[in-house]
This record gives sequence, C-alpha cells and structure tokens, in this order.
Amino acid sequence: MLDVRGIAKRFGDVVALDGVNLSVDRGGIIGFLGPNGAGKSTTMRAIMGLIAIDRGTITWDGAPITADVRRRFGYMPAERGMYPKMTVRDQLIYFARLAGLSARDAASSADVWMDRVDISSRSGDEVQALSSGNQQRVQLAIALVHDPELLILDEPFSGLDPVAVETMKTILLEQIERGTSVLFSSHQLDLVSDISRNVVIIDAGRVVLEGDVRDIRERAEFRYAAIGFAENTSWQPEYPGVQIIERHPRSLRLRVPDSQDPTAVLADANAAGRVVEFSFAPPDLSEVFLASINRRSPERDAERDPDSSTDRAAVG
Amino acid sequence: MNSFSMIKLVMAREIRQRMRSKGFAVTTVLLCVAILGMGVLNRVLSGDDSPTTYDIAVIGEMPAGFDDATQQAAQALDVVIKFENVGTRADAEQLVRDGDLDVAVDASTGELISESDPSDQLTAAMNAAWQSSSSLRAAEDAGLDPGQISTILSPAALRPAVLDGGKDSDDGLAMGVGFATAVLLFISINAFGGLVLTGVVEEKSTGVIEVLLGHVRAHQLLAGKVFGIGVVAMAQLSAAILTGLIALKVSGTSVPSGIWVGLPSTLLWFVCGFVLYSTLFALAGSFVSRQEDAQGAAAPISMVFTAAYLTVFVLGNAPYAPATRIVSVLPPFAPLLMPLRISIGAASGVEIVVAAVGLLAATFGMLRLAGAVYGRTLLHRGSRLHWKEALRMRSARSG
Repeated sequence: MLDVRGIAKRFGDVVALDGVNLSVDRGGIIGFLGPNGAGKSTTMRAIMGLIAIDRGTITWDGAPITADVRRRFGYMPAERGMYPKMTVRDQLIYFARLAGLSARDAASSADVWMDRVDISSRSGDEVQALSSGNQQRVQLAIALVHDPELLILDEPFSGLDPVAVETMKTILLEQIERGTSVLFSSHQLDLVSDISRNVVIIDAGRVVLEGDVRDIRERAEFRYAAIGFAENTSWQPEYPGVQIIERHPRSLRLRVPDSQDPTAVLADANAAGRVVEFSFAPPDLSEVFLASINRRSPERDAERDPDSSTDRAAVG
Repeated sequence: MNSFSMIKLVMAREIRQRMRSKGFAVTTVLLCVAILGMGVLNRVLSGDDSPTTYDIAVIGEMPAGFDDATQQAAQALDVVIKFENVGTRADAEQLVRDGDLDVAVDASTGELISESDPSDQLTAAMNAAWQSSSSLRAAEDAGLDPGQISTILSPAALRPAVLDGGKDSDDGLAMGVGFATAVLLFISINAFGGLVLTGVVEEKSTGVIEVLLGHVRAHQLLAGKVFGIGVVAMAQLSAAILTGLIALKVSGTSVPSGIWVGLPSTLLWFVCGFVLYSTLFALAGSFVSRQEDAQGAAAPISMVFTAAYLTVFVLGNAPYAPATRIVSVLPPFAPLLMPLRISIGAASGVEIVVAAVGLLAATFGMLRLAGAVYGRTLLHRGSRLHWKEALRMRSARSG
C-alpha cells in the first residue's frame, strides 16, 4: 500500500504542498484531481523521489521507499520523457533491463507491451518520428514494461484520441484486476469517474475532498432540480437558499440546498402550473470539483506551484 | 541489481547508440583516411628508396684503379655509377648534351664534363675516385711496393663510439609524432567530451531523466555515460593510432623504436584525461535544462582544456626545461603533455609515475565529487546553475 502522510514542500516563498495525505491500496486506483498548480505533479514527483520533501512521510507497505523499492514502480511523467533517437523497441527493452529484467524477459515484455498499446508496427522507428499520441502510447508501455506494483501516471489521458483513451482505460482496469496499485491525475473528470470510484481532489497544496465519487456527490451541500412546465411560466421559487441557475420559457434549473425537501418545491411548482418533468440529483463530479475549488480560489492564485507548470490542460 | 550491472547497462546503451550513429562511422573513417593519407603522401614526396643511378663515360686513359675507386666512392655515397663506352670527347659532349650521360671525365685534361652543375654526390664521388687513383699512380711512380701503397691509401676507417647508449637521434620524428598525438587527444577528448555534455543535457531536456531516476541512481548514470562514451572514443582513437602506425610503416621513414610502444600507451593517458574532463562536462551539462545553454555552462572547462592544449605547443619544444617538467605532471596538463614527453624520451620514470598517480587521484576525486552533487543538479530545472551553487548542493536522494 502506498501511504503519503502530511507531505509538505516549499519552493522559495511558494508553498507547493501543505500537508498532503493520500493512500492507494494494493489493487486500488485513485484519481488525483486538482486545478493547474494545485500540487498534483509535485506530489507524484515526491513519491518517485524526484524532489526532496520538507516534511511528512511516504511509505510503501509500511517501509520507506528506497531505490530498490522504487524500481518496482512505473512512472509516466507529465512531460513525456524518452530518448528521441532510440527506437521504440530498444527503448522499452532498455527500461525493462534497468528495472531488473533479464535480456530475454525484457525483449519479450517489450514485444507484449508494444502489441498491447498497439505500436508494434513502429517498433523499429525512432521515437522522435512518432506522433505525440503514439509517443504517449510508448510512454505508457515504458511505465508498464517491468510489470510494476505501483503505477504513478501524471496526466496519462491528455492528448489522446478517443481510441487511445479506450485502450488506456482498458489497460488500467486490467492492471487493477491484476493487483497493481494506480495513482493517476487527470483534468478529464468524466473519464476519472468512469475508471475510478475513488478520487482525491487537491487545491493549493491541500486535499480538499476525497473518497468515493458517489459519496462525494451525495455529501455535496446542494442538489440540482430541473422542472419542466406544460406552458410558459413565470413561477418563482421562494425558498431560502434556492437559486435559479437557468431559466427558459417553460423550464427552470435550480440549485437547491441539500437541507431543502424537494417534494415541497415540486408541490409548489405544480400549484403554479402543470409540471411535465422533474429531476432532482446531486451535482456531478466536475460540479463538485469546481465548487470545492471556488471556495478557496482567492488563495489559489497566490500559492501557485511553479513545479507543476505543465498542468496546462483546461479544467473540467 | 548491483551498482556495477546498472553501470554496465547504461554503458551498453551509450555504446550501442553512439556506434550506430552515422556521424561516428564517418568521422572515424575520415580520421583514418587522413592519417593514412599523410603516410602515403610522405612516401610519394620522399620518392622511392632505390639509390640514384648516374651514367658516366671516360675519355682517354684513366689511372689504374680509377674504376674500383669510383665504385667504392659510389657505395659510400649510396649511389650507383655506370660506365658507358664513348670514343671521342666530341661524342661524349654530345651524349652529355642529349642527357644520355650525366657526366664525362676527360683523363687527358683532368676535366669533369657536364651540361650544368652536376649533383654534389656525383662530383664528390668522381673527385674521390680521381684523387685516389692519381695518388696511386704517384705512389707507383715514386717506387713504392703494392703493400706500402695499400697502407698509405687504405687506412682503416673510423670506428663509431656513440656516447648516448645508442639512443635514437631521430628526435624530430619523435617530436612530430608526440605533437600529432597531443592534437589527436585534444580533438578526441573535445569531441567525445562534447558528446557527454550534450548527452546529459538531452536527458534533461527531453525529460527522460525523470523516468530514468526511478530505476538508476544518478552516479550510476554518470559513470555509465562517461565510461560508455569513453569506450566509443577509445575504439576510434585505437583505430587512429593503429592507422598511424601503419602510416609510419608505409611512409618508409625509419621510426624510433620507442614509438611502437609509446603510441599505444598513449591510450592510457587518454582514458584518464577523458574521464577527468568528461566528468566535468557531464557536471556542467547537469546545470542546464536546454541544449542551447550547454556550451555556456561548459565554457570554463573548455577554456582550461584549451589552455592545456596550447601549453603543449609552448612547452613541448623544450621538453627538458624545468617548467615543462613541473607543468607536465599536473593533472589538467598531464594527459596531453606526458605522451609527448614520453614519445621523445624526455620524461623520467619518476615523472611518469608522479604524473600518472596525480592524474588518477584527480580523476577519482572528480568522480566522487560529481557523484555527490550530480543527483541534485540533474533534477534542477529552469535557469542555469552556477558552479558555486551546484557544489553547495547535497544529494537529494537517500536510498
């Protein structure tokens, strides 16, 4: 099990991590979310030993992570990292050998993974000749070629076409089934909830939300109600805390505090005109995400993590 | 996996990637062709080795023994002289004018007939023969018997007594080879040290370093890169030196025996010099994140190295001077200056040992120092680090 406890890191005056906790069970998967500069990459780099943390502990199965332990991890950095002039196959074999595989095992594992990520036809090409999507397939194969116990994937989905996204998803789910632990970051929140029920959301170096996606949504302090009328309406809900998010001639979308009884709202609307449609649901993940971040947004700009400048993709 | 097998894996990758590059093949072939070309050119320019042949004719009756004396003189001067039969002086003059004869000797007048000034060798040979045969006739005329004549005319030659233990006096060639070696080492360390530099920066700028460091410790990466590229450099240098030895053979010059041993032993100086300088180049490379900053970071090292190179030309001509003796044992200079001094036999055993031990110690110290800071400097991102900052950094990683 990966256990990250209270890690903190400053870069000069900038607080990058401010007591981050998270853990990934054996065979568990955690989606790691947060806006640009929240500290996702910094956390992952700390786990990979690429930066020294100021405070806190990082352990694997209860023991500190030594170079030998780390060799059993697979890492995919946000900035892709490969030798541009090395062929795809040589590259995979090299990393497999560095992770401790014999020459023969490394070669066969390289062939298996080239096939899995669908890059076999380019096996003899230099990496620099590949498109960025294909380079990313190779990068994933590098992270997996030595059959790691823990996968640390920084933005594995960014820049992938829908076909590649499906391949990536399938591979991750397979890995979890085999007992590999996975920590991955993403901006594509719908994707995250497709793959992982467990998420950790950080902002400004602190964990702001964590747990099962469904629980998080249910724990949200508001719900959305959508009401459709048979005819044009001027109905105005009059409950404390209820806001109109969208208004159309015959429909409204409302933000309702979770303390509010929805049936009362429905009854009130029905009294104003015939209701033909009614839905009541917790916010989806991206809405929770935005809400949790907005709460802290004034601080965020001040505490930007310079080390995660690569988290460029748009939020949501 | 132990440290040595990690270093071996890194080395193997470097060797494989570098050897396969077209640039390596092209430069190696060009280098060898250039060296061989110099040898062939030297041979062509110095002509073939067979002695020069002169055709001469004699008019009138020569003193007895003239023919023998001519051949003796010819042998001493390493030329071949052939006698042609000619009737009259007019015929001889015609043949000389036509170029069929080099010279003709008129016995009656004692003249040496030639179209223009004859060669010094030929003049000397003809004079020697003429004078000794004339002396013979004079001695006979004076009534000496053949034994006395022989004593007078053929005294024993001087026996050589060489004071300097038979040392090759051919310092010019040895010096030339020494300088050529220094040039070769300079080019080689610069070129392959440059590969180390750009190799390190490539790993940083492409981000592959982040993945690598999940598997390999920084000092293993450093050692593997320096030694791996070192092996490739050695391969090229060995080819160059082997070609150089062949070129010396081909050129037909007589080569001081020390060179056959001295030139290959140059490789040992190269290894140390290369490791010393490329470790520094690797360190410099770890200070920057972009290829375009690499040369700037390496500038101080290049300057020291170039200064050491120029010193070879300043001090190389005075290989026994005290200043040369001192400078040549200092680690930054030893790799270039010692091979030169050894090849001309100017370095004493003590100096060689002191220089070698000093260089090894400096190289080892450099590897230790680099190993200690490399882990930290490698992961530095953004603007260029300076040497002071870098040396203050301790390694970021335990484990």
